[in-house]
Amino acid sequence: MIKNIKNILTLVLALTTGLAFGQIPSAETGTFALTNAKIETVTNGTIQNGIVIISDGKIAEVGSNVTIPQGAKTIDCSGMTIYPGMIDGGTQVGLVEVSSDPRTRDNNEIGDVIPHIQALTAVNPSSVIHPVTRVNGVTTVLTMPSGGLFPGTAALINLHGYTPDQMYAGFKGVVLNFPTTGRRGRWDRRSDDDIKKAAEKALKQLNDVWAKATQYHKIDSATNGKDQPYYPEMKALLPVVRGEMKLLVNVNSANDIKEALKWIEKNGADAVLCGVSEGWRAAEDIAKAGVPVITGPVLSNPTRGYDRYDRPYANAGAMQKAGVKVAIRTNEVENARNLPYHAGFAATYGMGKEEALKAVTIVPAEIFGVSDMYGSIEKGKVANLFVTSGDPFETKTQIKYVFIDGWNIPMISRHTQLYEEYLNRAPGVEK
Amino acid sequence: MKKINIIIALMLTVTFVMAQKKGSVLIKSGTVLTVTNGTLENTDVLIRDGKISKIGKGLSAPSGSKIIDASGMFVMPGIIDAHSHLALDAVNEATSPVTAEVWVGDALDPLDVGIYQALAGGVTSAHSMHGSANAIGGQCETVKFRYGEIEPDKLRMAGAPRTIKFALGENPTRVHGSGNGIQPRTRMGVEHVIRSSFQQAKEYKAAWDEYNAKKKDKRYKGKAPAYDLRLETLADILRGDIIIHCHSYRADEIYMLMQVCKDYGIKRLVFQHVNEGFKVAPELAKFGAGASVFADWWAYKFEVYYSTAYNAAILTKNGVTTSINSDSGELIRHLYHEAAKSQKYGGLTDDQALSLITINPAKQLGIADRVGSLEEGKEGDVAIFKNHPLSIYAIPTVTIVDGIVRFDRENDPADMRLYPDPEEKIDVTLWEAEDHDRCMANTEFLFTDK
Amino acid sequence: MRKRDSLFRSVILTLLIGLVPFIGWSQDSDLKPVTNKYAIKNATIVQAPGKTIQNGTILIENGIIKAVGSSVTIPADAWVVDADSMFVYAGFISGLSNIGVKKPEDKDGGDDRKLTGTPTDERAGITPGNSAREMLNVSDKSVDDFRKLGFTASHSVPHNGMLPGTGTIIILGGDNDQDMVVKDQVTMYSQFSGAGGVYPNTVIGVMAKYRDLYRKASQASDYQNKYNASPNGMERPAPNATLEALYPIVSKQMTVAFKAEGIKDVMRAIVLQRDLGFKMMLGEVKQGWDAIPAIKATGAPVFLSLDLPEWKEQEKKEDKDDEEKEEKEPTESELEEKALQERQYAMIKNYYTQAGKFSSNGVKFGFSTMEVKSKDFRTNLLKVIENGLSEDKALAALTTEPASILGLSSLMGTIETGKMANLVVSDTAYFTKDANVRYVFVDGIKYDFEAKKKKKKKSSDGEGVDAAGVWNYTTETPQGNGSGVITLKGTPGDYSGTISVSFNGSTNEIENVEVDGNNVSFSFKLNMGEEITVDISMDIDGDTFEGTLSVAAFGSFPMEGSKEPNN
Repeated sequence: MIKNIKNILTLVLALTTGLAFGQIPSAETGTFALTNAKIETVTNGTIQNGIVIISDGKIAEVGSNVTIPQGAKTIDCSGMTIYPGMIDGGTQVGLVEVSSDPRTRDNNEIGDVIPHIQALTAVNPSSVIHPVTRVNGVTTVLTMPSGGLFPGTAALINLHGYTPDQMYAGFKGVVLNFPTTGRRGRWDRRSDDDIKKAAEKALKQLNDVWAKATQYHKIDSATNGKDQPYYPEMKALLPVVRGEMKLLVNVNSANDIKEALKWIEKNGADAVLCGVSEGWRAAEDIAKAGVPVITGPVLSNPTRGYDRYDRPYANAGAMQKAGVKVAIRTNEVENARNLPYHAGFAATYGMGKEEALKAVTIVPAEIFGVSDMYGSIEKGKVANLFVTSGDPFETKTQIKYVFIDGWNIPMISRHTQLYEEYLNRAPGVEK
Repeated sequence: MKKINIIIALMLTVTFVMAQKKGSVLIKSGTVLTVTNGTLENTDVLIRDGKISKIGKGLSAPSGSKIIDASGMFVMPGIIDAHSHLALDAVNEATSPVTAEVWVGDALDPLDVGIYQALAGGVTSAHSMHGSANAIGGQCETVKFRYGEIEPDKLRMAGAPRTIKFALGENPTRVHGSGNGIQPRTRMGVEHVIRSSFQQAKEYKAAWDEYNAKKKDKRYKGKAPAYDLRLETLADILRGDIIIHCHSYRADEIYMLMQVCKDYGIKRLVFQHVNEGFKVAPELAKFGAGASVFADWWAYKFEVYYSTAYNAAILTKNGVTTSINSDSGELIRHLYHEAAKSQKYGGLTDDQALSLITINPAKQLGIADRVGSLEEGKEGDVAIFKNHPLSIYAIPTVTIVDGIVRFDRENDPADMRLYPDPEEKIDVTLWEAEDHDRCMANTEFLFTDK
Repeated sequence: MRKRDSLFRSVILTLLIGLVPFIGWSQDSDLKPVTNKYAIKNATIVQAPGKTIQNGTILIENGIIKAVGSSVTIPADAWVVDADSMFVYAGFISGLSNIGVKKPEDKDGGDDRKLTGTPTDERAGITPGNSAREMLNVSDKSVDDFRKLGFTASHSVPHNGMLPGTGTIIILGGDNDQDMVVKDQVTMYSQFSGAGGVYPNTVIGVMAKYRDLYRKASQASDYQNKYNASPNGMERPAPNATLEALYPIVSKQMTVAFKAEGIKDVMRAIVLQRDLGFKMMLGEVKQGWDAIPAIKATGAPVFLSLDLPEWKEQEKKEDKDDEEKEEKEPTESELEEKALQERQYAMIKNYYTQAGKFSSNGVKFGFSTMEVKSKDFRTNLLKVIENGLSEDKALAALTTEPASILGLSSLMGTIETGKMANLVVSDTAYFTKDANVRYVFVDGIKYDFEAKKKKKKKSSDGEGVDAAGVWNYTTETPQGNGSGVITLKGTPGDYSGTISVSFNGSTNEIENVEVDGNNVSFSFKLNMGEEITVDISMDIDGDTFEGTLSVAAFGSFPMEGSKEPNN
C-alpha cells in the first residue's frame, strides 16, 4: 500500500510539474535540399524525382533539374512525396487547451458585439496541441473566437513559433455568427415561434450594428479618421465595412445560408461562409452568389434526422461540383490533426482526391488572400510543407518530415514521447 | 419463501429469448477478411437461417436465399462497438454514487435513427452503456442493430452476458462530490465507495446463503434478509455473473480497481476509455483485464491531457485484449477508420487493427463464441466494403445482421426514421452534431442552480 | 393487520337512494328540484352498442333507471323531457383520467442535495397508499368540461410520481366531493415519471425501483401471511406503509393501471408485467399500433388516448399547389418537403387508425381522457371513426367496454332497468358532426346544455392587445429626457395614429404598425435637419407600457408611459 501511495505521489508530482515535462527539442533552420522526391505541387501538377530547395524560410527552388546549393542539408526523399502544408480553415487551436477546464479556454469573451477582440493575442505558442497537430502535416490553422454575434477577429497561424507574431500567417478576419433559425440541438426545446423571434431579433441587431458601422465609416472618411471618439467595436468593423477585411460568416442550416447570402449581397460584404453543414441544400444559391465556403467538420452526423446518412461526407463535394469554391475545416482543437481524414472522407464521397487536396491547401490560401505565400509547392512561397510515405489522406501513411517557415520541425509530440517511454516500460510488472 | 427464490431466479434471466427474424444470404467472390483465420481471396460466405454455414469457393445458395456479388469487395465480420450510448432513452441515473440496480436495457430505443447511421458504417452490434456519472453505475445491454424492429426486446442480443458500468475519476467525483457534497469527491473516495459496496454485497450474499441453508429445516422460523435489488446486483458481480466495464482514464485509478477486484475475487473486468492504460499495460495484461479505448481522443478534460494515440498499439503489443470504441453517435459511423489509426500510430498489422473492432470487443463482451469473426457456425453478422476497410477510401456498402440485410447503399432512401414526429415543423429544424460525450447525459440537472 | 385488509378490500359505495338529501343538485340554482323522477320521451334510445329503440321512453327515479321501452307509462309526477328526434346513450365512462382530482400543491421542499439518492418515498413520487378519493373536488373544471361531452363516470387517478396512489371510480357530479365516489381503490396507478432531481430520476431508475419495491413487497407480504397464520417464535414483521400498500397488487387482488403513451412506454410496462407478474391494464396509449401482438399476449385491457396529433387535410393542400404552379418543375427542396410531409401524414394517420386496428384485432379497449383537451374530444373521436372504427365499437369503447374492464357492468354502461341513471342526450346522433349534447343525467340528476351557436367569424389574427387611446410617454436619451404623446386609432392589426416629440415640438404620422400579443411596434420619420427613422416598441400591460425608442445609428433608449384614463 505504501508503495502504491508512493507511486501515486510520484505520478501526481509528474503531473503537476508536468507542463514542463518532455520538452520537445528546437526546430532547425538553414538551407535544405529535399531530393529524389515525388512532388505534389498542387498548382503545377506532379514532379517525379524532383528536388525542393528550402532557404531563408522560403521555397527557393522546385523542379527536377535543380542545383543543390553548397552547404545545404540534403534529405533523401526517395520513395516519398512532398506536399504543401495543410491548412485547416477553422479551429480553436491555440485558444483552447483542455476544453472542459475553463481556465484553459480563451476562445469565448464576454459580449455580443466584440469584433475588436483578437484571437491572435491569446494564442498560446507553448500549447501541447501544436506539435501534435503539425506532425500530421497540418502546418497552418485559422483560429477563431466563438460566442455571440460578433465574437471577435480570427487569425491564421503557423504551428511553430515562440510568440503569436512569429506564428502569425498574414490573415485576419472578423467572425460573424449569423442569426440561426434552427434548433441548436436536441436539448433546444424552444417553440418554433420563439426560435423565429430570437432569429429576427438577432438579425435586427446585426443590421443595427452594420448600420452603425456604415455610419462610422462615413464619418471616418469625411474626417479622415480625426477626432473619432474611442469606439473599438466600430473601429474593428471599419475595414470590414470598407471591404478591406473578410467577414467570416458562421452559418449552417439551409434557410440561414440563404438569408446570409441575401444579407451579404445587400451589404456588399467581402464574406466567407463557414461551417455550412447544409450547404448541399443551397449549393446552387451559394455558387450563384460567388461566396467561398470553408466547410466542416466532414466527420459529423447529419443535421436532420431524416437526412441521408452520408450527407456530411458528401457535402463538400456537392458544393464544389455546383461551382462553389470549397475549403475544408475540422472546427476542432486537439483533433485538428485529423484534417487529412476529413478531406479523405470528402474525397471518398464525391469530391475526389485532387479537389480534396486543394481544399486543404491552395483553396483556403486563396480564400484568405495568402496564396502568394501558402498552399502549394512553388518557388518563392513560404516553406510550409511535409514529406510522406504516401497518400496523405490514407490513414496509415507516415509523415516523415514537416517544414514550417523553413524550420525543420522535430517529428516529436507528447503522443510520440509517451509511446517511446511506455511501449516497453521499464520496470515492467516486477520492480 | 419459495416465492422469493423464484423471483430471484427470474431476475437472473431478465432477458427473455425472443423469436428473432433470421435470413439466408450468399455473399459471392469477395475478399474475405476472417480476422481470426487470415484473408481469403475470391471466397464465398454462406449464411443460412442467420448463421454462417459455410465459407469456401464456389458455394451455391439454397433456393430462395439472397445472393450478393462481392467480387472486388471486402467482406468482414460485422463491426462491434464495446462502448456506445445509442438506442437509449436514458443514460445516467445520476442521483446516487451507486446505482447497480438500474439497467439501461429498460430504456432501449429501437427508433433511434443513429442505429441506422451506425449500420451504414458496418456496425452490427454495440454495447449500449449506462453513463459515467456514478462510481457504480447501471447495468448495460449488448444489442444487435436490427433496425426496423419496433419492439425493444428485439434489439437485445439474447444470451449475451450481463455487464455493468463503473466509473472512476473526474465524472463521479464532479457529479457527487462537487455537485452534491457527498462521497466521492476524490479518487480516494471512489475507491472507498466501490470497496464498501462490494463489502455490503459480500455480507448480503453470505446472509442469504446462511438463510437458504437454515431454511432447509422446515421448522426454521427466522426472517429472510431484506431483499435489495442493488445488493443483489452487486452480489452477482461477486458471483462472476456480470462483467465490469469501467470508465477510467488515469493509470493510478486503473491500477486501484484491479487491486479492489483482486481483493473480492472478481476476474471479469474491462476498462473503458482507459487513456492511460498504456502506462499500466503490463499490469492489465497480467490481470487479464480488457481495454476498450478511443483511437485518438485526448485533451478534452484534464485527466486525458497526458494521453497518446499510440495507446491501442502499446496495449496490444503488451498482450492486452484491446478494442477501439466510439462512445459517440458520430465515431461509431466510421470505427473502421478509427481502427486504421492504430496502423498510423504504432504500426499494427491489418488483422491486429481489424481485431480492435471485431473479435476483441466480442471477447470483452463475452460474445466471442458467437460473433466477431467470420467462422462457420458463428452468427451471420457481416459488413461488406468497397475498398479495404482500413483505407480512408473504404465505403461500407452492405451490412447484414443475422443473415438479414439491414443496410444496402444501393437501396438507401434518405429518410430512415421509423416514427417521424407527427408535429415537427419540417423546414426549420437543424440538429447540430450530437454532443460527443453522452457518457454524462442526464446529469445536466446536477450542474444548474447550484 | 385485519384493519388494513379491510381497507384493501374494494369497497363498493353504491349510492343508497333516500339517504342523500336532494338539495342543491341542480347546477344553476340553489333551489331543490321539484321532483326526482324524469321521463325522457320520444327519443331514439341506444340501449347498448347495436341495440336501439325508436321513439322510446326512459323513466328515471331516484337516480335509477326504472323503465326503458317504447310503451312506458309516464307517471304524473315526473319531469318530462321531450326528446323528439333526440338520441339517448348510456353515459360515457373515461377509462383513465384525472377528472375531479386536485393537483397536489408544488412543495418547495428544502433542496437537500445530499439526499438525492435517498429521498423520502413521498419526494420520490412513491405514494401507493394515497387514493384519488382523498383528492376529489367536485367543482374542478374538468368535471364540468367532460360532463358537457357526455361523460358521467371516470376512473380517476392521482397526479404525479411513479406510484401516485390508487384510482377511484367517480361519477361526474354530486353534492360534495365525496358524493362522487362510486368505488374506491380499484387500481394501483403507475407511470414512468422520474422524481425530478432525486432518485429515481430517469426511466431506468423508475423501472429498477419498481422491481425493487414489488419484490420487497412480495417478500414482506409473504412473511406477513406466515406471521398472521402462526406468529409464535417469529420476529415481528417490520411495518412499512409503502410496501403494505402494494400487497394487493402482489396478491393480484388489485390491477396495476399503467399510463403508457408512447410505444416504448407500452413495451416497458409489458416488460415489468412479465418480470413481476402483476395484473395490468394500460392507459392513455397513443402509439400502440405496433404493439398489438405484444399487448394481446399479456391479455391486458387498454384505454386508448384521444389526444392525437392535429389532423391535416392532405389533399386540399395539394389541389391548391397544383393550381398555382402547374407548369413549374418542383425544386429539390419542394420534392423533399413533399416527401417529408407524406411521411408525416402517414404517421399522423397511424394515430387515427389505431382504435380501428385494436378493434379488428380483438383487443379489449376503451378510451381514456387524461391528455385530450375537452374541446378536441369530439373532433378527434369522429376522425377516429372516419378512420376505421365503427360507431358501435366507438360507443362500446365509451360505455360497455370501460364498464366491463373496470368491473362496473352491473352499474353502468348500458341503458337498462336498475342501472344508474347515467345518460347522455344529444340533439341528433352523437357520432355526427353537428350533434350537440343537450342533457346529461348523472346519477339521475339532470344537467341542461344549450345547443352551440354558430361560431362567430374571427377577425384575422385579431389576438393582439387593444392599444387604442392616448398614451403619454417619457424617454431617456443621452441628449436628455424626452416626452410626448402617442395617439393610436383603430383596431388591433389596423392601427394608425401620431406621435408628438417634445424634442422639436413636432407631431408625426406613425407607420408600419405591428401588433404581436401585447407588443405594439411602429416607426416614424423625424426631421432633425436630416430625416431619421425612429422605431418604437411598446410592451403594454393594462394601462401602462414599457418599451424602447431606437434610432438606427445611435442605439436604443428606454421609454415608458401610461394611457390617459378618460379615453
